[in-house]
Amino acid sequence: MTDSTASAPKPSSSVKLVLLGEAAVGKSSLVLRFVNNDFQPNKEPTIGAAFLTQKCQLPSRTIKFEIWDTAGQERFASLAPMYYRNAQSALVVYDMTKPSSLVKAKHWVAELQRQASPGIVIALVGNKLDLCDDDDPEDEAQDGENAEGHEEEAVRKVSTAEAKAYAEEESLLFYETSAKTGHNVSEVFTAIANAIPETSLKGPRTGAGGGTQAAISGGQDTSRVNLNARGADGAAKEGCAC
Amino acid sequence: METLDGTEWDVVIADTGFASSLLALSLSRSGKRILHLDPNEYYGGAEAAFSLAEAETWALRWSESTDGATFSHASVTKPSLSGDSKLLSSRAYSLALAPHLIYARSNNVPALVSSQCHNQLDFQAVGSWFVLNPFDDALTSSSRLIRVPSSREDVFQDASLALKAKRALMKFLRFVASYEEQTETWNDSRDQSFSLFLEQKFGLPAASHEPIMALTMSTTPASSTTTGFALPRIAQHLRSIGIFGPGFGAVLPKWGGLAEIAQVACRAGAVGGGVYVLNKAIKEAAKVEQSDTIALTLDGNERVSTTWLCGSTETTRWTGCTPAVSEEDFTTISRSISIVSSPLSHLFPPTSEGGVTPAGAVVVVPSPDASEPPVHILVHTSDAGECPMDQSVAYASVALPSDTGYPRLERAISDLLLSAEDAQPELLWTLRYQQRTNLSTQALRESGGLINLPALRDDLVLDDSVLDGVRQAWQSITSEEQSVFMKFEAREGGEEEE
Ligand SMILES: Nc1nc2c(ncn2[C@@H]2O[C@H](COP(=O)(O)OP(=O)(O)O)[C@@H](O)[C@H]2O)c(=O)[nH]1
Ligand SMILES: [Mg+2]
Repeated sequence: MTDSTASAPKPSSSVKLVLLGEAAVGKSSLVLRFVNNDFQPNKEPTIGAAFLTQKCQLPSRTIKFEIWDTAGQERFASLAPMYYRNAQSALVVYDMTKPSSLVKAKHWVAELQRQASPGIVIALVGNKLDLCDDDDPEDEAQDGENAEGHEEEAVRKVSTAEAKAYAEEESLLFYETSAKTGHNVSEVFTAIANAIPETSLKGPRTGAGGGTQAAISGGQDTSRVNLNARGADGAAKEGCAC
Repeated sequence: METLDGTEWDVVIADTGFASSLLALSLSRSGKRILHLDPNEYYGGAEAAFSLAEAETWALRWSESTDGATFSHASVTKPSLSGDSKLLSSRAYSLALAPHLIYARSNNVPALVSSQCHNQLDFQAVGSWFVLNPFDDALTSSSRLIRVPSSREDVFQDASLALKAKRALMKFLRFVASYEEQTETWNDSRDQSFSLFLEQKFGLPAASHEPIMALTMSTTPASSTTTGFALPRIAQHLRSIGIFGPGFGAVLPKWGGLAEIAQVACRAGAVGGGVYVLNKAIKEAAKVEQSDTIALTLDGNERVSTTWLCGSTETTRWTGCTPAVSEEDFTTISRSISIVSSPLSHLFPPTSEGGVTPAGAVVVVPSPDASEPPVHILVHTSDAGECPMDQSVAYASVALPSDTGYPRLERAISDLLLSAEDAQPELLWTLRYQQRTNLSTQALRESGGLINLPALRDDLVLDDSVLDGVRQAWQSITSEEQSVFMKFEAREGGEEEE
């Protein structure tokens, strides 16, 4: 409520986040930057999928992100449904130097809006900002031609204005990032953490309001049973007496 | 999309049902090359969870009776006029084909914990058990719905019990606590009526049997429930109480029952490198002569080969590799899923002071005719993540085919709604379906690289045989020691907490 003192423990909630986007746009790199503050230029693509966690401190609470990175196997288009099921947030990534990746990102956004939980918070992220020489993303009057010193693909191909307009239309959070330099990476996750409705974090019974985001009640602490409590031990001994 | 044609695998799993997904989890760090398929466009197979729209599509698909199919006679009704206005958006619901409860004392719990799966799952308490007597004008609503005392303290405090009955009941509960050591008391009655046993050995009058019977979750008629079946069930119930907290002994997985566990298990399979392809059925399988290989033909005529082919009886039944099953091995049950316009709070008294808020309750509706099976209803609150706030979901089931079963289910649900103390709850939406369960595959069946995994039993308790079957399958495939089954370290970055 009011300014909490340093000693008082903040409430903590887990938030499931799924990463979606075309291969090689930098999904795994964004996670690596966020979780380990690291970047590996020629990282081997992950086999299978990856699961990582990272905490995000907000003034009033701690959010623990459970991050699912759908690596590699987008090829059969079968993994994503089990990752975005019950996910409270999604990071849909495109590569600003590759227009086709924005088309793919739009497909993902549409699929999330059709299939995922009604209250899911979606952030659209244009990655590889460091490859674009326009220091100020707002100002991209002339693009492409002035790119001496860069390889051909290493220039902005998706304008900020275009992606931003699309994000606004679909009510998505929008950021341009660089996993390489770290620019805006933690900002994306913080923005998502802030955008998760309180009602889907804790005590949905109090949030009697009729927003659709409350349609499926979120993790209510008082109903949660911890299987680790005494369960593992006690139950293991029982064997099959039947 | 890429093709699977010509690929070689160590293990092909034919569906993403509960047992098959647990197998994928158990193999997720084995280093085996695993192809995990499902003929449907969703995960979970016969244990899936659906939004309203998905459930309606599913009902259309299984409305008729297809030869050999698990589901049939499915239909959706919206009995209430106001149903449409009170129902929220389709995805505000996650309705479970397998809303099973899991006892603390079941082999599934340690496996979920040691495999690190529980970190990605939420479990909630199944609090109270009730007996609901059929509606009768002479009875008031409160006397029709009776909460089953589920511990000795409960019995002690129950004011409705006469002292003599209380003593007899306490004696019985004490006996159950160590029934294994007292074979002389019950061995002769093992295959006989449990009712008779209660009466003769403990002097419990017939009127007191229903609450005891309710704890067995037996799907068979009261008259044919045997002592040998009932005792371990009641013992499991009582011994589970208090393990995860005071006042309850069973849990349910949030967000759609066993479907949720299946998906978490598949995710672990994917993290381990398994390849997942939905919408892909196996059309044919043939053992390749003089080799350890099975050649498979998939939808779209892709051909792949594998050493092992695993799956439920249904998803492997077209492959030509399946051992024959006889019609007698099947039981037929009727089930319904009802969305109710009220939280039905009278079914969810607190588990204990300051304890967890229960999200599940069990209501057993005995038949007035002891030769007829009871109806079991699992009621889930909105905390279970299956429906919006201020609504609830009632999963009902009876071991009868649809023609006789549906009327029983309907009656039971309407009696349940009549028992509510608050403003008359309405039925907003109901899905009914008939389900065939192959009881013979409760044990694992294996022949020449083909493994049929066990089906869930026909009641609403997740029993130990499913995981036992998965363990056997895992052992055949990996030749590992039993003791390392489902024992995994937390993955890097997925560190454990609390
Ligand atoms: N210059 C630059 N390269 C990046 C950035 N993010 C990722 N990459 C590179 O793009 C390639 C694909 O990245 P990866 O994270 O594996 O993409 P994913 O397939 O979406 O997970 C790798 O070679 C990365 O080093 C970035 O912000 N800037
Ligand atoms: Mg990646």
